[in-house]
Amino acid sequence: MGFQKFARGTAAMALVMGATAAAQAEPLKIALVETLSGPQASTGLLYRDAVKYQIGKINEAGGFGGEPIELLEFDNQGGPVGAADRVRAAISEGADVILQGSSSAVAGQVTEDVRKYNLRNAGNEVLYINLGGEAMELTGSKCHYYHFRTSPNAAIRVNTLLDGMSEAGVLGDNVYAMNQNYSWGVDVQDNTVAAADRLGFTVVEQTLHDVNKIQDFSPYVQRVQAAGADTVITGNWSNDLLLLMKASSGAGLDVRFGTAFLDQPGNIGNAGAVAEGHYLSAPFNPEVNPEETAVFMEDYKSVTGHYPSYVEPATVFGMMLLQEALKQVEPTEDGLNAADLAAALENATAETPMGSISMRDADHQAVLPMIVQEVSTEAQYKADDTQFGFVPIKVISAADAEQPVQDSCQMKRPG
Amino acid sequence: MDQILFALLNGTIYGLLLFMVSAGLTLIFGMMGVLNFAHASFYMLGAYFAYTLQPLTGFWLAIILAPILVMGVGILVERFILRHVHEHGHAHELLVTFGLSVVIAEMIKMVYGKFAVDYRVPAELNFAAFSLSGIDYPFYRLFMGGIAVVMFIAIYLLLTKTRVGIVVRSAIYRPQMVEALGHNVPMVFMGVFGIGAALAGLAGAVAGAFYTTNPNMALELGVMVFVVVVVGGLGSMGGAMAASLLIGITNSLAVGSDFRIADILTWIGMGGWAEEIGGLLTMRMSSLAATLPFFIMLLVLVLRPSGLMGEKE
Repeated sequence: MGFQKFARGTAAMALVMGATAAAQAEPLKIALVETLSGPQASTGLLYRDAVKYQIGKINEAGGFGGEPIELLEFDNQGGPVGAADRVRAAISEGADVILQGSSSAVAGQVTEDVRKYNLRNAGNEVLYINLGGEAMELTGSKCHYYHFRTSPNAAIRVNTLLDGMSEAGVLGDNVYAMNQNYSWGVDVQDNTVAAADRLGFTVVEQTLHDVNKIQDFSPYVQRVQAAGADTVITGNWSNDLLLLMKASSGAGLDVRFGTAFLDQPGNIGNAGAVAEGHYLSAPFNPEVNPEETAVFMEDYKSVTGHYPSYVEPATVFGMMLLQEALKQVEPTEDGLNAADLAAALENATAETPMGSISMRDADHQAVLPMIVQEVSTEAQYKADDTQFGFVPIKVISAADAEQPVQDSCQMKRPG
Repeated sequence: MDQILFALLNGTIYGLLLFMVSAGLTLIFGMMGVLNFAHASFYMLGAYFAYTLQPLTGFWLAIILAPILVMGVGILVERFILRHVHEHGHAHELLVTFGLSVVIAEMIKMVYGKFAVDYRVPAELNFAAFSLSGIDYPFYRLFMGGIAVVMFIAIYLLLTKTRVGIVVRSAIYRPQMVEALGHNVPMVFMGVFGIGAALAGLAGAVAGAFYTTNPNMALELGVMVFVVVVVGGLGSMGGAMAASLLIGITNSLAVGSDFRIADILTWIGMGGWAEEIGGLLTMRMSSLAATLPFFIMLLVLVLRPSGLMGEKE
């Protein structure tokens, strides 16, 4: 709250000063519109740490147009309504780039708001960089020229996960798709079903359940058992993932879980041995390219106080793409022309500790390497002070992880 | 057959857990007329206290001490906050307890961090009680159910068979008369509030190890607990038990069912039409499971506003 007041105060000051002082090259303003308070704030705060870290790096390297980049923070309070309001506030305070990551539901709202704003304010556009909303529609039916996704999407997550598990011989013949009933969960389910023929497994059953409302997952586990599943593929996150795994282990069920978000802080600590032997596909693992990665790990820790995990590495890599794009753009009199930045970002490539990542111009989806990993005691970096961590079992190159552009994306380009 | 047996057992145990938390809420409401929004926060406090104590005292002592600590917090809340607000009416009490729940949640985040902590079922209790057609049934679930049943019997006996119970019940109906007879009525209220908080704390200490202990646990269970109390009838202990079991079992059965409204319509030859319309008509029961309790609450409020066993007002 204190920060918002401060931000408003400085904005008011800037207005007054702007009226009196002569126009001077303004610093580039980037707005992070995240969930910074309330029950889902834990993820939003990780995005903030990662964004702050990389903007710090950009500023150390000279910022943009000789001025350090200014990061504005807005709390969307976890919902699309709050986000719509905060996006307006961010734009009116002069932000040229909007960053947001947690929840596809919020991302759907932000991308629509930005699209409409840009329609009405041609020549004065803003960019939306989606750091983690992984639903397919964001680069499908809702795609537009000023939206960029730097995280993987449901198709990339699920296909790399299934490929990796299949190759390691742990996928089994019978797969159960258990997901949360909203855009992201439905996408995970659809992609799991779509991969069945290619990899030769059967989807024995599909379940969509309410999001973060269920305390007792034992009835669901009973269904998994009755269906005779070898593996459960799930896009569940947070409590929905933890409780599902715990209920399954309590029932003595011999199934493996293939997940997208098992690396969320606290998960391994809470699940303990229950998580051992389960799988995850994510854009980062500290044991890949150990020399470079160790430097990144230690540097991140020295700045933020903890090792990067969960959404943090991918966020840093996404910001690296932005950094590369900013190098290509000449500052204008009033700071930045967003159309120039979009044109540069479309074809940006960045070197990360995981390898090279790039932006695909057809639908503005990042193309990035994915690492399929297993929870094991062998891991070099342990999670949550437990004896467990993530061991990479297969690194899938950016080219192999890439998924086709969706037909539903009809991107209108300027000019 | 085994499937249904499991579903019933799962539902019953989940229902009993709901009862453990809602018992205190309905007790406090019945006795004092205070709708305590912070009640689920006491549940969370119980879990975190037990988590903190466990390494020092061991699991058993921790689940005994944690509710006592929560009772202490409850008593302080009643003595120094609620009592002052009481004279301003129910709206103020509601607001104060709501504020309190936010304060407790934020303090938990400050002390223990934003993520789930590693409070787990101790190894000696982590075994299968029995096994049915390939699924183990965790002993700890039965243990939680057992505690809830003991709790129900103890409260029932305390209120109906002891002198303390008589004083408490009479203090609700005729507080001035009871005071005139030389009983300390504010003390009685403080005690009731403390006991109610302790019950929630016990539920948290026991269930926190089985589910997850995280800063959102109050929020997750809080809504369901209110549904239970409204369905059962505000203030009715038996009603809370009945409503908990009803919600637990319907939820568990619904998850296992692929029933769709379109299937009924097929019998009267309108299946094709229903498939075409889609939407709610073709939604599987299993995806609606977590919404059912709210539907039950709606039905009860429409048909019997005082709840299943509530007294007519």
